[in-house]
Amino acid sequence: MATQDTASQATPTARDRLRFVRQSVSHRLPNAGEGLVGYLFLLPALLVFTVFLGFPILYTLYLSFFRFEGVSNETVFWFDLGFFSYELTRIADLTFVGLNNYTALLSDSLFHQALFNTTFILLVQVPLMVALALVFAVALNASFVRFKGVFRTVLALPVSANLVAYSTVFLLMMQDAGLVNYVLTSVGLPAIPWLTSSFWSRMTIVGAVTWRWTGYNMIILLAGLQTVPQQLYEAAEIDGASRFEKFRYVTIPQLRPVLLFVVVTSTIGTFKLFSEPVIINGGGAPLDSTITIVQYIYQTAFIDFRLGYASALTYVLIAVVSLLSAVQLNVGGEGDA
Amino acid sequence: MAGLAGCAGTGDPNDDSTQQNGGGGGGGNGTSGSSTTEGPAMADAVEVWGWDVAAKSLDLINDPYVEEHGGEVTITQIGRADLKDKFKSTLLSGSGAPSAAMMESVDAASWVDTGGLRDISDWLSESGIKDEFVSGKWGPLEKDGNTYALPWDVGPVGTFYRRDVMSEHDIDPSSVETWDQYIEEGKKLPDDQYLLNLPSNDYDGLWRMMFRQLGGQPFTENGAVNINSEKSLQVARILKRIRDSGVANDLASWSSGWFTAFGEGTTASLTAGAWMEGTLKAELGDTSGKWGVFKPPAIESGGPRATNWGGSNLTIPTQVSDETARRAWDYMAYTLGQKEHQLTMYEEYGIFPALKSTYESDAFDQPNEFLDGQEAGRMFADIAPEIPPYRYTIDTPAVTKAVNTHFRDMMNGGKSPKEAVDAAAQQVADRTDRDLA
Amino acid sequence: MREETRREAVWQFLAYAFILLGAVLTLVPLYWIFVASTLDEQEFLSTTEPRLIPGDSFLQNFESLQARGNVQFVGHPGEMTQYVDFGFGYVYYDVWHLWDLGALESSIFVAVVYTLLSLVLCSMAGFAFAKYEFRFKKPMFYAILATLILPIQLLVIPLFLLMSQIGLTNSYWAIILPWAANPLGIFLMRQNMRSIPDALLESARMDGATEFQLYYKIALPTMKSSLAALAIILFLFQWNLFLFPLVILEQGKYTIPVAINQLVGAQRVYYDQIMVAATLSIIPIVVLFLVLQKQFVSGILAGSVKE
Repeated sequence: MATQDTASQATPTARDRLRFVRQSVSHRLPNAGEGLVGYLFLLPALLVFTVFLGFPILYTLYLSFFRFEGVSNETVFWFDLGFFSYELTRIADLTFVGLNNYTALLSDSLFHQALFNTTFILLVQVPLMVALALVFAVALNASFVRFKGVFRTVLALPVSANLVAYSTVFLLMMQDAGLVNYVLTSVGLPAIPWLTSSFWSRMTIVGAVTWRWTGYNMIILLAGLQTVPQQLYEAAEIDGASRFEKFRYVTIPQLRPVLLFVVVTSTIGTFKLFSEPVIINGGGAPLDSTITIVQYIYQTAFIDFRLGYASALTYVLIAVVSLLSAVQLNVGGEGDA
Repeated sequence: MAGLAGCAGTGDPNDDSTQQNGGGGGGGNGTSGSSTTEGPAMADAVEVWGWDVAAKSLDLINDPYVEEHGGEVTITQIGRADLKDKFKSTLLSGSGAPSAAMMESVDAASWVDTGGLRDISDWLSESGIKDEFVSGKWGPLEKDGNTYALPWDVGPVGTFYRRDVMSEHDIDPSSVETWDQYIEEGKKLPDDQYLLNLPSNDYDGLWRMMFRQLGGQPFTENGAVNINSEKSLQVARILKRIRDSGVANDLASWSSGWFTAFGEGTTASLTAGAWMEGTLKAELGDTSGKWGVFKPPAIESGGPRATNWGGSNLTIPTQVSDETARRAWDYMAYTLGQKEHQLTMYEEYGIFPALKSTYESDAFDQPNEFLDGQEAGRMFADIAPEIPPYRYTIDTPAVTKAVNTHFRDMMNGGKSPKEAVDAAAQQVADRTDRDLA
Repeated sequence: MREETRREAVWQFLAYAFILLGAVLTLVPLYWIFVASTLDEQEFLSTTEPRLIPGDSFLQNFESLQARGNVQFVGHPGEMTQYVDFGFGYVYYDVWHLWDLGALESSIFVAVVYTLLSLVLCSMAGFAFAKYEFRFKKPMFYAILATLILPIQLLVIPLFLLMSQIGLTNSYWAIILPWAANPLGIFLMRQNMRSIPDALLESARMDGATEFQLYYKIALPTMKSSLAALAIILFLFQWNLFLFPLVILEQGKYTIPVAINQLVGAQRVYYDQIMVAATLSIIPIVVLFLVLQKQFVSGILAGSVKE
């Protein structure tokens, strides 16, 4: 992502002035005594978070060191106070296997295939979608564009379309004799095996996901654009900056936090891809070329009932994506969070 | 905010379900003391989860059951995939399961293996109804000599075909005996019409059907992988010949394009379980009277022509209380184990009973309007008892995957049939820590 | 100068062309869904070519959707039974029985409650991360971010267990509360609130504003457009939730995605009804956008890019 503000080859005057103005409206470290206040603002969210997600998250981690042997209804703990009784039953028979689940991942070819598929889709889909969303957002933010509200709504609608419905339509469009190939062949291009070739079926997924989420990301970027201080543009105009220079030296740096948000969440979203491949490609067809990591996790847990292994998969996924997100944040200049 | 709180909490009027089992029947119902059960304590309420027409067919039996045995029956209809997700979540988290739920034979082995299903062996032997069911059904429902579910329906296979298309091109399906003959006949069709559909996303379905027809078993008795046996290889060769002969279309099963092709007659036949007739009738009502059905072709001349596709059972989760389980068993034995109720389901919704005693009924001799007056029921009733048993195991999903993967390779010419079955067997062996047979 | 206007014209043309093309491409599948909702199922199945002109079976399809036993898509009037007798007359107080919710109303209700609750939690947490220094700030932020990656497919089982332990099965709270502190929302608010000038907060402090007033009176108003975007994110997040609502809610409480999935049968798919339901379920989102329309152009810190 071209979000780094280090372009030393640019005209010095405009940049220096902008930097000065930006600094005057920007961050200063608050007092040390505000520590407690920060916690207080965080408290409600943290509380809800811990109560409802703390147990599932830790339980999953715990499971990842065990092999699931079966369901158990054995009572492990109970009390009865007459007016209130409580009984805790063990839910699963587990065998401790240490790090076996994690080491097994190293030689699991299907996991590697899923990781490859997901990364492949990611590398095409995220840059494409973020670029499109950014261009739409900037274009829609231009003052001369009329019917902004209408366009904004139209572009963002796909995300509200029901999955089953839109997948059905996508399947119809992408068939060998479907609409997309009809358009291609009528302008003299060859028809493309959208659903049957390994490569193109991944592209179909990319297309479907991009169609669904571009407008959504555009909305976020558009909102980010509203918080760019107007005086920066004015300062740039005084210096005679061109439209592109304003975009490059004002919009992009100011939008950087939001742009980072879009990049990081899109990356995470792609890693969590599940439903589209299931419906459009019937769960990994052709030849496992569209099976995604989360799909594999689901299969492992819900079809094969290997809950321990599925949990280990999940934590490896978290490690990989966290690392990737941390890199994105640091490259994007947010390392000083 | 009172309204909001009410809706989100427990004030919903529809909410008199009995999800927390052992908690007794629904709240608002005032008719108490209607329970007329004998023997050990039985819960009043029974909630059963099922999908589609199967769930609807259970509804038909509600009134007679409540009249004769008392209690209170709730049938919850949930989509098939959704029911599986929901039921498995309740099994694995040890709470929230219904008194009984529908379970496909394909899934049975792995579900039983979770330990979340109740052993019904004692009740079953007490009732003495075990022998009345098609024997091929029991395999996947049993583990270590115990039984975990009661059979419901079977899917005796037939080949449905478009009469008009076949006769127009001078094909006589009733004279067809083997797949090779059928392929030859299919070549009479023009280029834009296909004899059948062989979907590249679903080779395992056809493979399993034909493999079972030959009496093949995916695993030996000792648990070794057996999908590279001679029988499996025979099937692979047939499938390859079908693809190479050009008589097969390639449309994803159940897609709208797939239905369209049957509607337009561009795909002229479909080999599937008896239940398929109901589906075709519902989706392609316009084509009523244009269809016929014949026994699936044999793999080789004089070979067996009975096999199965699909079929479900009812099972009781371990987590429900003994009282609830007893009620659930009572309900299952009544609806699935009694001839007249199984016949009601067959006549109304075409659910083909696994209960053998029903086959004597003349309900199976009725001419079928959708099939141009053919008495198809009798043909299926003849096939059903002949269905060879089949060893579904917890590793059935691995077999499905391996067969699909390597058969696709075979169809593209990347592997010979021999190489494909060997590779598939090797893959299953590797992924499941089993030996090769 | 003429050169300049010509370039301006080209730029405007390009911008319009791009937006229009995007809008058209976006609309094709949506329009297809709409057209399919107006066709008889046989019509829909009998051809794979797209149809431009809607059919006339919309109401008929809607009726067959409403007639289904296992899915109540749009609700109907209910019956109140609880009342207080004042001697001179009865007053029913179970007003929540006035209307039996269908999936559409359930989804709207759940999404609205969730959005409001989550807006508060996320903006407060985001404000803390953006504008205060405290111990473990960075690790806490990254930990919250990491939970964004957790696939719901695996959380379902322990979450179901938790909900049944605290008695929230078949309750809408079970699908509202776990994600009320939405990591996505906290992240977004943190990113956006970093652009609030510290000088602004500092001068308010000097004027004697409390810390909560800084959040309530300065941060929130300057963040209107971001809050609107967040509201959309949260609403759509809840709107599209599928697996957990399926598992935790019982029939009669289904949300839209769960209800629509019930139309995918083992042996047949009710395309006509799915398309009607999908078409109807887009309407609330359009309304949401209309409601939030104004927020997108008003921020105190900035206006739109001036040309």
